Amino acid sequence: MKKALALLLALVMALSLAACGSGGSDEKVTLNVIISQYGNYTQEWWTQFEKDFEDANKSVDLNIEIVSWNDIYSVVSTRIQSKQQPDILNISGFADYVEDDLLMKAEDYTSAEVQAKIIPSFWESNAIDGTVWALPILASCRSLFCNMDLLNEAGVTAPPTTWDEVLTACQAVKDKFGDSIVPWGLDISTDEGQAAFAYYTWNMGGGFQDESGNWALNSAENVKAVEYIKQLIDSGYCNSAPYTDTRYPLQDAFSAGTLAMMIGPMNMVSADSTVNYQSVAIPGKSIGVGICDQLMVFKNDSVKNQDARTEAIKAFFDFFYDCERYSDYMVYEGFLPATTDSSDYLASNAENHKVGGSDATGSSEYFKTFCAQLPNCQFYPLSEAEWIDVKNGVIEVEQKVCQGEISAQDALNNLQNSITAG
Amino acid sequence: MKEKQTPRARLNRKRVEPYIWLLPSILLMGVMILVPIFSVFQTSFSEISKSGINKGFNGGVNYLWVFQNPTFWNTLKNTVIWTIVVVGISTVLGIILGLVLNEKFHGRKLVRAIVVFPWATALIIQSVIWKYIINADYGALNALLYKLGIIKSYVNWTATPEQFFAWECFVGILVTVPFVTFCVLSGLQSIDTSLYEAADVDGATFWSRLFKVTLPLLMPSLTVSTVLNIIYVFNSFPIIWTISKGDPADQTHTLVTYLYKLSFTNQKVGEAAAVSVVGFVILAACASVYMVITLRSEKEE
Repeated sequence: MKKALALLLALVMALSLAACGSGGSDEKVTLNVIISQYGNYTQEWWTQFEKDFEDANKSVDLNIEIVSWNDIYSVVSTRIQSKQQPDILNISGFADYVEDDLLMKAEDYTSAEVQAKIIPSFWESNAIDGTVWALPILASCRSLFCNMDLLNEAGVTAPPTTWDEVLTACQAVKDKFGDSIVPWGLDISTDEGQAAFAYYTWNMGGGFQDESGNWALNSAENVKAVEYIKQLIDSGYCNSAPYTDTRYPLQDAFSAGTLAMMIGPMNMVSADSTVNYQSVAIPGKSIGVGICDQLMVFKNDSVKNQDARTEAIKAFFDFFYDCERYSDYMVYEGFLPATTDSSDYLASNAENHKVGGSDATGSSEYFKTFCAQLPNCQFYPLSEAEWIDVKNGVIEVEQKVCQGEISAQDALNNLQNSITAG
Repeated sequence: MKEKQTPRARLNRKRVEPYIWLLPSILLMGVMILVPIFSVFQTSFSEISKSGINKGFNGGVNYLWVFQNPTFWNTLKNTVIWTIVVVGISTVLGIILGLVLNEKFHGRKLVRAIVVFPWATALIIQSVIWKYIINADYGALNALLYKLGIIKSYVNWTATPEQFFAWECFVGILVTVPFVTFCVLSGLQSIDTSLYEAADVDGATFWSRLFKVTLPLLMPSLTVSTVLNIIYVFNSFPIIWTISKGDPADQTHTLVTYLYKLSFTNQKVGEAAAVSVVGFVILAACASVYMVITLRSEKEE
């Protein structure tokens, strides 16, 4: 018994000595990175990235972790609670972290070259009171998708350009196909109901904020927009469960040819779909809904050599935003670049890069078209601390009004009051 | 090595030994159950920022917010309905099914296997399947009824929150019945057949046999299955979350899905912890009622 114990003790000591040895001999900077899962093959791309980066930067140990969108917010807040926050995080929204003083300023870790090539409006969109707190990782743009075969068969010759034309087109599809085709795809679910709010309010002249950046949730235009959504449902033009249908089954239905029209991101039609479709500006004011996720850097006071850490982070971003590598990622995931050099490059070279998980290559035409749409896009007010409450609030408004529980005006008034009251 | 033990030492050992054996489970319960409970209570009285940082004690603000929120009261009502309806109906159906399956007939083994099926399948899979079956646009139910000519046009099965909730209760019942059935079956098998023979001799009818012999003797197994089911069903998360996520407009939540949404979608962790404490108190009350009843009946015996 005693012998066994002694042996165990010796073993433990040896192991701890070994651990000391490996800790002391080199001074590698470790960077923990959390990346959101944009597609089924996100992991593969970043595994390669990690290898390439470590080969090029021997003094940095990069740990990249891919987290699904379902879990990422809870994963990150759990890590923050236990003071294990990542060094670099890819997520949507950063105002809450700024409020708790967790982030580093973007200018502290962005090299002049990287800053120069980020599209200026994206750079500024991540600012709170003039300070930029995050970098744009990618952009996507929402527009209206129409199944032209179905519309033509129903006697509609061109995609609708006004909201009245949308109603006419829906009625035509309904008259022609009855139950077998859903005329208009609508998602006002908890998943992404704020997107629907943006589609309709922005293109009817309203929105989340007024021109001076104050919350203007109960504007007359917004009331009209929410009532319009209710009208779409009540007329029987939409999928039957807009409260719970997320965008994904609707995209599948569109790709399969059983849904005539819906607003969605530019890469929503599945690669193997045979649907003859057109993607056009959202009716009304033709304002595209832009989604722009961010990369941000957390402070870490426990690191002794802060300069080395900042240098490593700088190197990470220089490496990531390198024109060809960054462009490759955009083609791989099917998103739009947030840098000027990659936008130019992809407009003619997308064919040199592969789409994730397939042998298909990118299409320069696609990048040309959609990068040109980006300037017409508006973005969510992610830099506002109230954004999470506003986002959940508008979804609740949509659902309550469409259920007929409360009028659009009252619901929006209540929301406006609760947000501005803090 | 072997030493002679004095009687006194032996007695001490006897006294201490059980606790040594119990120590692992006590430790496990302490770490896995008591610590989290304590931390939920603590969180419910703290202000937690949206990024997850604890800003310290804030009195009863979280509870006040919860109690002033109409969604909470609606959720509480739903939770009561959900638990009573699902446990009640599954118990009745389970008893009937158990009685049928206790009779001898051809293919009984097969039927028993089929009954286990909904119970043995993961809840989340069943919920997803039912979500797609009842979907009005591409669901199997509409397609089937339409092809059979029973409906002329597709029916929207989930037009209102009430309909959504009714479907969720239906799925809940479906997955709970097998458990009751098997509790009943095991209970039935432990009933002495001589009791039935005696009843037959006395000329008892089917109904009097059922109410005077079978059900009273089934009571212990029914109590166990009912208490366990109340806890399971009260805490059941996957069915409601998968089918409706508590929508439309947060009207089909039970406490568990509501606190999940508060915590992970709305990032109101403190408020979610308060809801969690309310749920805990309710269940603790139910459990104590059960304890009192069983302890009393044990005493009587």
